[in-house]
Amino acid sequence: MNQATRLLSTYTADVSGVCSALYELGGLTVMHDASGCNSTYNTHDEPRWYDRPSMVYISALKEIDAIMGADDKLIGDIVAAARQLQPRFIAIAGSPIPMLIGTDFTAVALEIENQCGIPTLGLATNGMHEYLSGISMAFTALARRFCRPAQPASGSGRPLVNILGATPLDFSVTGNIEALHEAFRQRGYEINSCWAMNSDLDQLANAGAAQVNAVISSAGLALAQWLQEQYGTPYLVGVPWGRLGAAAYFDALRQALHDGSSACFYSGLSGQGSGKQGLIIGEAVTAASLKAALLLQGGWSRIQTACPFRDYASLLGPDDIALEDEKQIRQLMEEADVIIADPIYRRFFKNGKQRQFVDWPHEAYSGRIYRRQIPVCIEEHLDLWQKGWLKEK
Amino acid sequence: METIKIAVYGKGGIGKSTTTANLAAAFAEQGLRVMQIGCDPKADSTIYLHQGRPIPSVLDLIRSKGNDFTLDDMVTQGYNGVLCVEAGGPTPGQGCAGRGIIAALDKLAEKGAYERYDPQVILYDVLGDVVCGGFAMPMRGGHADWVFIVTSGENMAIHAAANIATAVQNFQSRGYAKLGGLIVNRRNVAREMEKVEELAEDIHSRIVGVLPYSPLIQEAEEQKATLMEAFPQSEMADCCRRLAEQILAVCREG
Repeated sequence: MNQATRLLSTYTADVSGVCSALYELGGLTVMHDASGCNSTYNTHDEPRWYDRPSMVYISALKEIDAIMGADDKLIGDIVAAARQLQPRFIAIAGSPIPMLIGTDFTAVALEIENQCGIPTLGLATNGMHEYLSGISMAFTALARRFCRPAQPASGSGRPLVNILGATPLDFSVTGNIEALHEAFRQRGYEINSCWAMNSDLDQLANAGAAQVNAVISSAGLALAQWLQEQYGTPYLVGVPWGRLGAAAYFDALRQALHDGSSACFYSGLSGQGSGKQGLIIGEAVTAASLKAALLLQGGWSRIQTACPFRDYASLLGPDDIALEDEKQIRQLMEEADVIIADPIYRRFFKNGKQRQFVDWPHEAYSGRIYRRQIPVCIEEHLDLWQKGWLKEK
Repeated sequence: METIKIAVYGKGGIGKSTTTANLAAAFAEQGLRVMQIGCDPKADSTIYLHQGRPIPSVLDLIRSKGNDFTLDDMVTQGYNGVLCVEAGGPTPGQGCAGRGIIAALDKLAEKGAYERYDPQVILYDVLGDVVCGGFAMPMRGGHADWVFIVTSGENMAIHAAANIATAVQNFQSRGYAKLGGLIVNRRNVAREMEKVEELAEDIHSRIVGVLPYSPLIQEAEEQKATLMEAFPQSEMADCCRRLAEQILAVCREG
């Protein structure tokens, strides 16, 4: 029973990832799921729900429909809704019941599109994978369907960048994405598209025009690889957290732009000298970027990143760990002096004179509970946050 | 050469696995790279291509090893180089066999089986009727392009064949496999050919080949081999070769 989760929570699933990725793009997103307590997709996991409308619906799958495989009913309902709402596109995604009855989402999407003429994506989510795979699936499906041959650059002369992997599940709505855009602009870049916050479908469709792609979470990697295949665009993995981290990040971005090669900006960084031992738990790219930013500031003997998603372990550094179970998390937390993680991990934290737990809430993990505490960490904002927790200690 | 992908359906016990294995051997005899995928929880579709020895099924591998296994664990070479895969299934009376077929075929694709072995002919041998979404998986987009239905002149076999043909027809708007035709596996019942011809007309299809009843099939099974291996010089083996030719012709004509 090593893999049992007794005290901790679980990260949100691929179903919420799809909804989050498509939220701002003017599409009709239909979750093929039973009706009832399933507001998770668009309330618990969706901070934009309260002040920004989006067409996210549940198919209200009934027992008899599941038994009878009533795809025609599902298709008819979606076509009727689409004719009324006239969305830019339709996305139909699955939950555990359709997975078990083998619903063919690609075929259902084809039938819907044939009937109403609106581009339709079939996304075979099943609620059993983590949110990152849902975001990734939605982004790549959008790109395959909508990205057109690269258009000429805008003429501003500034290099165009696509930001890939932006959703509130990893970045919340507390200002990180806005600060990130500003950081790019300050360094002379123009945001060509941001997948998928603060950009519309037309901007996304023109992603091929960018000179470089910035992968800011694991969910953006597959899209970056696809864009590289299609348009030859290089990409850089990482987030410019902190002043020194941002300096290293933008050096690496310039390099990627210059020589056309893709890289991970934090991969070569490791701890040096004496100091505290840190542990950061979270999504691979955001956590490893935070580790890089802190190591560059100094005062650490070692920082380890621990990522709960084994599928994205390739985005971790050599010293980092893809987490297996609670026992391992507990052990790692006992060994570290400073732990930076979502507050839910505090359940395993043992107080001590030289020890500190720093809250770094993660929307995909604790939802809205700690949203107000989610810090902005881009460039110098990290220093302010860090001052706060150093003072607290 | 574009890969020819065929799903063989038909009533339980009608001789799908025997016919499919003999077709696989006949295609291999022509020098084609053939992969036979058994889509039946019993996991015995390819058993006579392996001298009666069972091979590990994909679902057994997933159950025992998670994802920690290779393509070589899933795909084994049988008689005359035929690549054999068994999807497998849950414990009888438990779980969901249809969902098992989906999981097994997904795993095969995920591990890159089609790219690595690059088969020229893929044969999906599917359990009984199209009873649920899982058993329609082999005819979905990305899998078989053609469905062939094995039937005899027995009423229940004809009834099952008609149901399968209806399912194939219903799925045309989804871009699924097309109906290639009927394979008559004769049981020598009264008015056998007349009844199957009537069926072919009803479902707007055709008979692509006829396999006469032959005791050699059972004798080959006694030897734990396909007829093509045990009695390659027999008239029945020639029938299988002709059937293979006719099926290839249908698929190539489009």
